[in-house]
Amino acid sequence: MTALTNKRRFRSEKIAPYFFISPFYIIFTIFFLLPTIASFVLAFYKWKGVKAPKPRGWGNYEYLFFKDQNFWEIFQNTIFYSAGSVFITIPLALLLALALNNQSLKLKPFWRLVFFSPIVTSVVAAALTFKMILNSEFGLLNYAISFIGIEPINWVESSSTSKWSVMMLVVWRWTGLTCIYFLAGLQFIDRTLYEAAKIDGATAWHQFWYVTLPQLAPVTLFVCIIVSIGSFQIFEDVFVMYSGNDVPTHAKSMVVYIMERGFQQLKLGFGSSIGVFMFVCILAISLFQFRSFASNLDQDAKKSFIERFLSPIIDFIANIFPIESGNSNKKSLSPIFGKLSLNISITIIGLITLIP
Amino acid sequence: MLTSSVKSTAEIMAWPPIIWSKNPNWENVTNLFTQYPANLWIYNSFIVAIAVTILTVFLCTLAGYAFAKYDFKGKKKLFIFMVATAMIPFPIIMIPLYVLVGRMGMNDTLLGLIIPFVAPAIGIFMMRQFITSVPDELIQAARADGAGEFRIFWQIVVPLVWPGIATLSIITYVNSWNSFLWPLIILRDDLNYTIPLGMTEVFALSVGQEPQYGQAMAFATLTTIPIIFIFSFVQKYYIAGLSAGAVKG
Repeated sequence: MTALTNKRRFRSEKIAPYFFISPFYIIFTIFFLLPTIASFVLAFYKWKGVKAPKPRGWGNYEYLFFKDQNFWEIFQNTIFYSAGSVFITIPLALLLALALNNQSLKLKPFWRLVFFSPIVTSVVAAALTFKMILNSEFGLLNYAISFIGIEPINWVESSSTSKWSVMMLVVWRWTGLTCIYFLAGLQFIDRTLYEAAKIDGATAWHQFWYVTLPQLAPVTLFVCIIVSIGSFQIFEDVFVMYSGNDVPTHAKSMVVYIMERGFQQLKLGFGSSIGVFMFVCILAISLFQFRSFASNLDQDAKKSFIERFLSPIIDFIANIFPIESGNSNKKSLSPIFGKLSLNISITIIGLITLIP
Repeated sequence: MLTSSVKSTAEIMAWPPIIWSKNPNWENVTNLFTQYPANLWIYNSFIVAIAVTILTVFLCTLAGYAFAKYDFKGKKKLFIFMVATAMIPFPIIMIPLYVLVGRMGMNDTLLGLIIPFVAPAIGIFMMRQFITSVPDELIQAARADGAGEFRIFWQIVVPLVWPGIATLSIITYVNSWNSFLWPLIILRDDLNYTIPLGMTEVFALSVGQEPQYGQAMAFATLTTIPIIFIFSFVQKYYIAGLSAGAVKG
């Protein structure tokens, strides 16, 4: 009797995990894996969506790279958005994090709101707000610069400032989040390193340069990859700011271009080839960043690329949710957020990684 | 920044700009419901976000549990493969996905907004991370007491990883609530619109009419508040989750 139930239990223990993972993997395969593969295949076809697809070989890519009048300008725009947001957002966020990493900081609820509002606000709402602020006739920004004697500028429409208008929105959206990552990273730095540096007579600047920055390297890498990949895919920012269907070429991003070619003109094959090219770019960007940062990272930890890439998240989660034991020597994420909102910060971390 | 446009009215066009309206124009809000189907948009967004959240959390927790606490053939390969695909950006899959969803007859339906998004790779990764810290002894003890595998999951593991579940829920909810690109692709009928799409309609993005700044801002404010509310709600919830989760293995 007992032998029988034991045997049955043994079998159910073997089979159960497959039952547990199958619903996930079925949906994952149908709605993610198949489309991904299909995209790579479709990029070699000409397809309007009605008749059978016609094979086109490398024709889509050939057209994209050599004949398309607009593509390279759009590509440059995208690079501009991506690089710009990395080079503006990250130093800005690091400065903010250093300034805010202070136990006696006042107005904590205010700072909390400042950091979290860009994350919970939908991009559409934010873009509409920015569109108003940047409006040439009644925008707040033109009003503000009128005090220092600058003529009103047509921020959104003019080709010289249009990219910067989008950039302002992008920076607003990413800085708070990046700052939270840095604040978290600062909490994980070993205090004794600073004490050792002080004994060796290091100035504040030296401490920052030789202790803080190298210790923040993994977080910085993570943030760089997240921000550059995220802003490489910007769509809503541009689309909404330019009232949808007629985005000028000098402000278009690649995803806007995919939308235009793929869905408005129904060139499904051609659209896919842009998508594939974008994927290659994203892969190249993250590999490049990983490579150039790798020398700064801990060499002892011989982890795979994925583990390293995700290790900051693992650390956060492992440190912040003390599920297995009641010991309370967990480091507070940051003085401004206090213990309560640690969890919120985690949410944010997940939030960004979940953005498709 | 958003606060400055909370009570925007026709005075928006004024120069110099007026920060606080002297006589708030509540018509901005009421017009949303009389001139546009804003209540439907909110309802749609709500249904979609709730459905996506419940399904995502259930699937990810279940699979995360399998990855964290069982040994089975191909476990490592399946897991690594899945996490690696998390790098693939959405714009790559959107064209084939559009075709697929169309073939399944889910174009212009709320179902088409829900089903493709309930299996995010990173969700499973997160849940596995949380569940790993549940003590093995608890699971063994339950098994010795004769609990079935699913019952162990439902009665032992789920209550212990509430913080993780809450975290994943809020992330998924906010993402779904604010998503714009995919609804823009598959929705045609404006009765099926979700909030962000509705917002662009109020703003008159597609039609060549005068943009309704005030109304769009009213709508933006109206629909951001629930999210902030949920955030603060979950914040409270976490404390309970943390103390309840502090079990000595």
